[in-house]
Amino acid sequence: MKVNAAKMLPLLILLFVGQAWMQRSVIYPFWGKHYAPRTDSDLSSLSPDQMLFALAGFREMIAGLLWVRADAYFDEGNYDAILPMVRIVTMLDPKQLDVYATGMWHIAYNFTDESQRSDRRYISPALALGKEGARLNGYTYELWFETGWIWYHKIDDNYGEAVYYFEKANEYDYDTIFADLKAAGLNDAEADWRAQINGIPEARKNLLAPAYLRNGDVIAARDLYWSLLQRAEEKIKTRQGDLYVGSNNRDTIEGNFDNILVRMAQRGEFARLRGETDMTGYDVYPPFDVGFSVSVSVIDYKVLLVEGTWGVLPVGTRIRFILRDADYQGAVPGGMVWDKGDEVSFTVNPNETFLQDQLFVRNQRFSRRVDLSRDVTMYPLTKQDYVMEFYYNPRSAPAHIQDKFGFNGEGMTDSNFLNSDIREGQRVVFAQLKITKDMILRTGDYRKGRKQAIVATQNYDPSKYTGGSGEVIQVPGLRSDPPSP
Amino acid sequence: MSIILSIARTTIGEAVRRRILLVILLIGILFLVIAPSLNMLTPRQETTVLKGLTLGVIQITSAVIALVLTVYMLPNEVERRTIYTILSKPVQRWQFLIGKYLGAVGALGLMIAMMTFTLLFVYAVMQSQEKPAAPIALFIVTLIALVALTNKLKDKTSGQVVIAVLAGGLMATLYWIGMATGQLETFSDFGKTAAMFFIQMCLLAAVGVFFSTFASPVVNFFLSGGVYMIGSLFNTLFDAVAENADMSPFAKGAVQLLQSIIPNFQNFSVQNTTVNPNQFIRGEFNHYMNLTGYGVLYISILLILGIIIFDRKEV
Repeated sequence: MKVNAAKMLPLLILLFVGQAWMQRSVIYPFWGKHYAPRTDSDLSSLSPDQMLFALAGFREMIAGLLWVRADAYFDEGNYDAILPMVRIVTMLDPKQLDVYATGMWHIAYNFTDESQRSDRRYISPALALGKEGARLNGYTYELWFETGWIWYHKIDDNYGEAVYYFEKANEYDYDTIFADLKAAGLNDAEADWRAQINGIPEARKNLLAPAYLRNGDVIAARDLYWSLLQRAEEKIKTRQGDLYVGSNNRDTIEGNFDNILVRMAQRGEFARLRGETDMTGYDVYPPFDVGFSVSVSVIDYKVLLVEGTWGVLPVGTRIRFILRDADYQGAVPGGMVWDKGDEVSFTVNPNETFLQDQLFVRNQRFSRRVDLSRDVTMYPLTKQDYVMEFYYNPRSAPAHIQDKFGFNGEGMTDSNFLNSDIREGQRVVFAQLKITKDMILRTGDYRKGRKQAIVATQNYDPSKYTGGSGEVIQVPGLRSDPPSP
Repeated sequence: MSIILSIARTTIGEAVRRRILLVILLIGILFLVIAPSLNMLTPRQETTVLKGLTLGVIQITSAVIALVLTVYMLPNEVERRTIYTILSKPVQRWQFLIGKYLGAVGALGLMIAMMTFTLLFVYAVMQSQEKPAAPIALFIVTLIALVALTNKLKDKTSGQVVIAVLAGGLMATLYWIGMATGQLETFSDFGKTAAMFFIQMCLLAAVGVFFSTFASPVVNFFLSGGVYMIGSLFNTLFDAVAENADMSPFAKGAVQLLQSIIPNFQNFSVQNTTVNPNQFIRGEFNHYMNLTGYGVLYISILLILGIIIFDRKEV
């Protein structure tokens, strides 16, 4: 008995129309929204077979293999090769959180010169990568936190940005996510599991408080510590989570909360809040003159010696030193516009020079040899004119120095370089000197030492603060009078 | 129905005995077992890479098995002349074709299940902090017993009960391992992905069976493989076309028409949520149901067309 094809035709047409409708109208839109590869993917670096596999539904597999290869490059120290890998993997599978997190850390921290100074030109791509990761993985706190960390720790300036990202990360609270997932119909076990892996760990929430402090918002920091302390105690009382971890967290928050209250009292913050104007008797009064001065001399081809004074005896002061093109695009006093938009590009301008270093103060003086000769790609020195900047922000100072300088520098002054304009609401020390390519390269008038290549602030006096005791670090109180010269 | 089932059973038996298929399966399983040696990454990244890699291995191996299994299906019967013996009995051609297809699907299901079990087992052993020795040992013993006894006992009713009990025991032990290692959620994710791969491979097998009604094995291999490749690239291509403002409406229409005709295999690539479990997709279960429905619809089309062609074929 043969099958009657004519009779089958209507059924076939019906089935055909049904599958086409189902595929185009029901399945594809859902797939496109949740499972599709990125439409902006640039996979031109893949070999044809990798490309074919990647596009034919094996994206995760190729991404995994490439990341294993990238790990081998890490071990070999072949950092440049990792950059395109990071980009391709994040394009193939933008849900791989560790690739974003490791990638941005690698870009921001690992490209260093011979003296372990990071290439600051790579900070902007790292931020862009972090922002992209946070945008494409909106269900987890992780990349908000990681991006905030780059602002807080690596950039160590513009603390409002760190606060923004840490606040976003803190929104991913276990309880909130759990409630949302329960409302979406998940059972307790699955909702708990997903809330655990996507919610911010309790201890990590604490980092927002120091970010508030560095951003000058002391009250927000205090209130956050208080609310976190209450929450930690509640969790211990109701036996939620690991008791040991919870107790440690509670103790840490309690210690931090006590510290901030004591510091607010000693630094006159409560008095200021009460509207008092007389700060006499508080640690921040009278403001301490740091006596900053600096001299930069070119001691060899592309080798600078940065020396200067900083009248603070206790150890812990680091002054930011920047050497950059005079016309560096996006430069701002004491830094640059770090966030340059959302586009992720790992190509940095090979003709731009931006060096950032720290001058470590010991016995009221600092001296740092800065060698630019061994890292031509990082410091191409293609321009004629350069600017050197010296920047000290008490908000990033350690607590024992802040005890005198105050939260925003109210206990700090400098006869020559105090600046309250370049950072809103803060008193910072900022100085700028100019230097030329001829000086750095010891060419032209400076060839063979014909002319001394030295620039210095007018107040630089090498005989100042010579009474230190060598390597012994003295730690007297900074509480009132400046140390005698 | 019994005719179809007995043809299907015979087809499964033939498939299980075919060395080429067993070699492909063995290679796939070998990859799954050695995959955890990629242990140089951070723990979470290692898991992500391992999942992506192993699921990819299962998908590729299954696709190759589906192709090899189906392209020879009818031509072999004709070449060995066994088809004449079967069709001389009261067996309709459509029953024969559907029986052969169901047999292929059954064999595919077995092989995908074996690979998935291996994956779950390897994954559980690799991930668990405290190795649950008792359930793992029980799993291995049950697996060995199942493999050893399957051929010997499959023809007896009591033997089939033993096999069923062993298979059930295997599942229960796997559940136990999942519970003991805290990997039950991951096991469930693997299971869902493997199920979608299975539907995808059923569709590919239907393509192979359809082409085998009129094409030689070599031509069929390339035809079915080509359809699989195109069907797997289709969404990506369609996205690119939709975003290309310079393309003429005629060309866009042609691509859309093609998208409606060729089976879409890419929709079944849903492993991303398993590889990256942080994400939660609302309505995922409905999507899986829709995919299954789509698969069944398209498979029906291919089988009906195959039956019509096979019915008119001079054999």
